[in-house]
Amino acid sequence: MKNSLHISLNQKINAFLLIVIVNACQIGVGIHGFQRVVYQDAKQDAWIAVILSFIYAHFVAFIMIKTLKMFQDQDLYGIHQMIFGKYFGNFLNSLYVLYCSFAFVSIIINYKEVINTWVFPHLASSFLYISLLIIVIYTFTGGFRIIIGISTINFLFTLAIPIILLVPLKYANINSLLPILDNDMINLLKGVYSMTFTIAGFELINFIYPNVKEKSKVGKYVHIGLLTTLFVYLTTMLIALTYFNGEQLNKLIWATLSMLSMIKLPFFERIEILIICGWMIIILPNLCIYLWAAYRGVIRIKSISPNKFVWSFSIVIFILTLFINTRSQIEMVNNIFSKIAFIIVFIYPFILFIFALIKKLFTKRKVQNDETI
Amino acid sequence: MKQFKLIVSLLLSIVLVIGCADPKILERVGIVTLIGYDAGEEDKVTVTSVVRQVNPDYQSTVNTHTETEATGEKTRLKVNLESSKKIVAGQMRVVLFGEDIAKEGLDEMLHALIMNSEISTSIYVAVVEDSAQTLIEGQYKNVTDIGQHIYGIIEHNIEQQNAVSSTLHEVVRDFYSPLRDPLIPIVKKNGENIEISGTALFHKGAMVGEFPIEDTLYLMMVRGKFRHGTLELELPSEGLSAKDDLETIPISIDSIKSYRQMKLVDPAVPEFDLKVIVQCRLLEIHSSISTADRTIVEKLEKGINKILESEISRIVNKSIELHSDHFGFGEKYRADTRNAKLTEEEWHEIYKNLKVNVKVQSTIVRDGVFE
Repeated sequence: MKNSLHISLNQKINAFLLIVIVNACQIGVGIHGFQRVVYQDAKQDAWIAVILSFIYAHFVAFIMIKTLKMFQDQDLYGIHQMIFGKYFGNFLNSLYVLYCSFAFVSIIINYKEVINTWVFPHLASSFLYISLLIIVIYTFTGGFRIIIGISTINFLFTLAIPIILLVPLKYANINSLLPILDNDMINLLKGVYSMTFTIAGFELINFIYPNVKEKSKVGKYVHIGLLTTLFVYLTTMLIALTYFNGEQLNKLIWATLSMLSMIKLPFFERIEILIICGWMIIILPNLCIYLWAAYRGVIRIKSISPNKFVWSFSIVIFILTLFINTRSQIEMVNNIFSKIAFIIVFIYPFILFIFALIKKLFTKRKVQNDETI
Repeated sequence: MKQFKLIVSLLLSIVLVIGCADPKILERVGIVTLIGYDAGEEDKVTVTSVVRQVNPDYQSTVNTHTETEATGEKTRLKVNLESSKKIVAGQMRVVLFGEDIAKEGLDEMLHALIMNSEISTSIYVAVVEDSAQTLIEGQYKNVTDIGQHIYGIIEHNIEQQNAVSSTLHEVVRDFYSPLRDPLIPIVKKNGENIEISGTALFHKGAMVGEFPIEDTLYLMMVRGKFRHGTLELELPSEGLSAKDDLETIPISIDSIKSYRQMKLVDPAVPEFDLKVIVQCRLLEIHSSISTADRTIVEKLEKGINKILESEISRIVNKSIELHSDHFGFGEKYRADTRNAKLTEEEWHEIYKNLKVNVKVQSTIVRDGVFE
């Protein structure tokens, strides 16, 4: 059993790049329309739900990093094998690989839906999938550092979103935010739960951790990364809440894109068309990092070359996506993904942490026993 | 290397093919710039559209098409059948509603417009006095593109705050709000001209009344921040003028800056305090009055306050009578009362008994260069 990872120095990255990576993993297709989902439960306090969900995410990230630090230079797959043994560990690993593939599918179908609704209503979805997958293959075969490089471009792009959204502020109505905290706590927590689909992504630090040069700084930069995402989500949420009326927000599928359709430039009338097409750059690192994480899991179980893996993976994904066509099916996939992601991202790290603690305790005792003998 | 070649060739073919995804070549499409809705017989709508066709050789042509069908999309099909080019709606600028259909309710049309991703939410909405079809099909001097002409009229007047702002987004937002009603300007055909003639009031998506164009200024003052606008007022002359032969003094003021404060005083009635703060500039006044005198200026301000207060009260009361809450009293009420859980019906019930105390505080900031 090959347990430790050997990562050459040229595959390692500086810790500060984690800001970019966390941001790239989190911001994807969710930001297009998360306002509606959160609003349905939390009403005018939806922005508080966003903040609460991020407080929880910070806590989860803290636990994740604690667990990772117990096992030097291991990613989550290695930790699984060390704690649960070869067979059960591999079983958990394959579940995680499936989760990553599921995330990949859900991102790709949501993006396709946006393109088909806003830009090209008649474009065949298989054509879109093929072009997306080919770009993903191209990036993935470039290696880990290329993926991180693309995340950096994506980072600049996402930070521009709040600036662009300053234009719709002209129509904002601050009364829509009042009265603050006029809802049941349960509804607010439901709103926090609805954030899962949007906020998921930072769990990928579990796999990027071994590739980071300065391990001691990981925590700091992951938290900064989460804060930048919070900033982007909070501004889009606040602007949407004031720009739209509540009832209207309830019916809007992609509130962020609808806000953009208000902006008119003298030389470009429908800026949202340009932004939707450019969004490919935002989802590309998202897709690639999930794919890369899945690959890390697969090589633990069966050694396979990256090229072979990425081609066969893409073909399987392509066939899978052909079965998902209508809006209601996509909604269903999103709901299932939200549920699974909630367990995997927000609950499982705690369970793993407890197991890791127990394991640590036993090995310590064993070492002591060995020494006494 | 082999894989690299494969990927590059695939990407290249993608680039070459994606150009043909959904082409809309300017010379081969008819661009709808304006759409007018009227009520047709048997629950159908009559849609009049202005289609501009760009021609590389000649001047571009503008045609109007009128069709009556149950849904907007079906009329589009019919227009397509008549037209030599494919009809696209992405460049639409203005939507007009005939008075009859506005009185029936705009629910379905607004819903269809906002559902369509092809249509931007920054287009303008207006109501037409009489029917939209006669306005669009009318002959006007020196107007070649009626769509662009109406868009120009509406756009610059909204920019200058001569008319209430009615982008599709604002109309739909107020329309879907259970506690607020939209306000849409009215355009009218006046002989060989088109003009903005007033503002339409709505209740639950149906037009219930209108304000004449002279009231727009007061409407804008109550709706929020206001920058432009000239007012002619007639003040009683008592104590102002040295000459006694004048009964009233006509003055002209220009609002520089105005904003409003809305306060819920008593949620039980409910009672609102509406305070409008106006900073204005004196443009015209009778020559016998010296504005150098501080007491005279104060008297003028008081006179202005009184007139503005009565005018604004009149407008607010008319809106309450017509059950149209376009100033956003309902939103303010919801925002200021906790655990209200106000429904649409409840608010309309409460709104009938609304009491509003209007107070205007005007300041003459400056006058001309000659006292």
